[in-house]
Amino acid sequence: MNTTFQKITLRHPYLFALGLLVIALGVNFYLQPNLFEQRVLSGNLRIFLPLMILTAGQAIVIMGGGLDLSVGTMVSMVNAILVTWITRESTGAEIATAIAVGASAGMLAGLFNGLCVSYLRLQPIVTTYATSFIYAGVALWILPRPGGLMPSELTKFYRSNPAGIPLMIWVAALLILLWVGLRGTRYGRYMFAVGGQAEAAYATGVPVSLMRLSTYVIAGLMAAFAALALTLSTGTGDPRIGDAMTLPSIVAVVLGGTRLSGGQGGIAGSLIGVVILGTIRNIISFADVPTWWQTFVDASIIIVALAAPGLIRLIRRRQTQL
Amino acid sequence: MKVSLSAQNVVKRYGGVVALADGNLDVESGEVVAFLGANGSGKSTLSKIVTGVVAPDEGTVLLDGQPVTFPSPQTAKKAGVTAVYQELSLIPDMTVAENIWLGHEPLQFGLRVNKAEVRRRTEALLALFAGTYHESLQPDAPVGALPPDEKQLVEILKALSLEPRLMILDEATASLDGRQVNRLFELIADWKKRDMAIVFVSHRMDEIMRVADRATVLRNGRTIGSRVIAETTEQELVEMMIEAGEAVPHHREAIAAEGQPAGVRLSVRQLRTSVLQGIDLTVRDGELLGIGGLQGQGQADLLLAVFGAIPFSGEITLSGQNVHFTHPRQAMQQDVAFVPGDRANEGLLLRRSILENFQLPSWRKYGFPLKINSARADATTTADELSLVRESLDAPVSSLSGGNAQKVVIGKWLLRTPNLLLLNDPTKGVDVGAKGEFYNLLVELRQQGTAILFYSSDDDELLGLCDRVLVLHDGRITAKLSGESLTHAELVTASMGTMQENGT
Repeated sequence: MNTTFQKITLRHPYLFALGLLVIALGVNFYLQPNLFEQRVLSGNLRIFLPLMILTAGQAIVIMGGGLDLSVGTMVSMVNAILVTWITRESTGAEIATAIAVGASAGMLAGLFNGLCVSYLRLQPIVTTYATSFIYAGVALWILPRPGGLMPSELTKFYRSNPAGIPLMIWVAALLILLWVGLRGTRYGRYMFAVGGQAEAAYATGVPVSLMRLSTYVIAGLMAAFAALALTLSTGTGDPRIGDAMTLPSIVAVVLGGTRLSGGQGGIAGSLIGVVILGTIRNIISFADVPTWWQTFVDASIIIVALAAPGLIRLIRRRQTQL
Repeated sequence: MKVSLSAQNVVKRYGGVVALADGNLDVESGEVVAFLGANGSGKSTLSKIVTGVVAPDEGTVLLDGQPVTFPSPQTAKKAGVTAVYQELSLIPDMTVAENIWLGHEPLQFGLRVNKAEVRRRTEALLALFAGTYHESLQPDAPVGALPPDEKQLVEILKALSLEPRLMILDEATASLDGRQVNRLFELIADWKKRDMAIVFVSHRMDEIMRVADRATVLRNGRTIGSRVIAETTEQELVEMMIEAGEAVPHHREAIAAEGQPAGVRLSVRQLRTSVLQGIDLTVRDGELLGIGGLQGQGQADLLLAVFGAIPFSGEITLSGQNVHFTHPRQAMQQDVAFVPGDRANEGLLLRRSILENFQLPSWRKYGFPLKINSARADATTTADELSLVRESLDAPVSSLSGGNAQKVVIGKWLLRTPNLLLLNDPTKGVDVGAKGEFYNLLVELRQQGTAILFYSSDDDELLGLCDRVLVLHDGRITAKLSGESLTHAELVTASMGTMQENGT
């Protein structure tokens, strides 16, 4: 096995995504020549932000060896909470309370997922698929039909460019900064160890169940923040608004160079993955292709990512036999 | 700091099977105790009890004279007792340094891992084995890319980084080359001077004679005794491991009287897989060829390769025809049958009925739609032949006792009347009574002319049943035993004593 190649991909899992991003941006620019104008660019970036935050949480779960199919409906649920709590007349204190309640709801949902997966030892995919319907139900219960209006100061803040830089860049930088900090702690080491080889980690004394639990709680919290960003972006509420975000959040992580089986990867790549997905979405809409192609592309990326290691092994095996 | 550990009258049962009947072990600062025993004698169980991986059912463990219980490996580690295992506890995607310090990383401000310090200490540890590994073994190399010997070094350094007072080396030298072993032994001499206590589990007699001060011998789950190495011989230790005058199932005489069997059924030339290093063998019709040796020396690979379940190179002739199976189905079509060792996972569909399990490989015969009555009749015949104790053929296999379940595993292949039967340690976890019936079945099959290739981790079975036994070690045949030479002493010596030094 090629050690240098392994070493580089382990330490910089986002390099592949970066290359892909350049290609996708090139195609997008060809189809949409005004892409890099300030107005278009920051409009695009605002649309990417909720998925970016959501993907950061998904990436943590996947690196820890799990998968969360309920993050999308968690976004719907927190969105429903925020728009029913906050009205145009809300005071600052009320808004702060609403955000705190939303964040707690996300963490509770994540905690429930985590308890099922780590302590009841249920299969993560089936468990979170099932719990996703609980959170979708809660969203519909709180907000039976779309509605609600955010105070304009809040939506204006979301569109602002603090210090001349779009808000999204600030948030992305913050996420990466937090990740770099986290990766350097014992928590980061444990997370990779649990995702990489849970039995070996257990034998070494890593608190495996607690680690798994915590990754789902983080994903729940990130889903709540994603819901906040989405609510500010649209200015209104919809009990199904986040449901379709689950698949893209997984695809973005995979595009970012994180293996679906866990134990390796990073946040920076996952965020680039979100931008790639958004760019592909732009390309599809500007190339006059029906929009359902987007879902087809998302699904294909996952299938290829899942099959790639097996295919590589098969090819290697064939070669050694000859 | 001085340390002493003493395990006294330790008992461990797994279900009905007694893995350890009376385990005793004493070791103290500044000595190396070698731990010896044949397959299944309870060495690993006792090591696991001492390091807190497994909890004992009875008996006491004294550390520095105080009774202790280790509910987990962590409590043992905190008490200064740690082990280097064969099954590696490393995380392939993490680097050498990350693996060594996982769980006890030096921290900065109590939060961030101090990378510089980790690197410095890892380099210091690696320096202990300087010159015996490739340049690619660096603190930041991912462990998954390292060859087995270097992984083993990392495993040893990981245990050492905990600064243990008592270290158990469980087959830690098995994948090391000569230079690395020499270096390890120099280090062990040094650790002894620093009051560390060392338990050395190895199958290599020459290494035990070189490094150990004392040897403790286990046999059938009991500690038989201890000898000071300087006052004993290899011969004496091997004899201690073998039960004198032990009753073995003697089916062999009855067989030998019937004269030489007929044509060659299976012939293998220069068989190589990732484990096997060129195996030659032939099996005749009506012959029971045993495969012996320590566990995991390539025996399973040999059977799987013949069955077409793993890729291999080499020449295989079946009934005079050259064959190269790439899928088990091809082997099945040539009337080859494989009985796996892991009954619950590979041999049976536990929740399905006895009938379904019997007929799983043979449904094809019964057309479309399935002629269920004729399938049932055939299954009943086989079940009766095997005197299978059952409620009905529709009862789930999980309702059967271990021995009866094993009959179903073999019975499903008998329905296809195989002419070559491959058995992968088939009596593991089967009770004594059922074993006897199974032996009778094997004898019957070979009388009917079935060629049988039989791997067993139980030396007595090989001695009692087989015409010839090939002993495997490191993927090579190291001894061919038959007739006069097929004795317990020869078998144990072939697997342990006469091993060549591992080449570099």
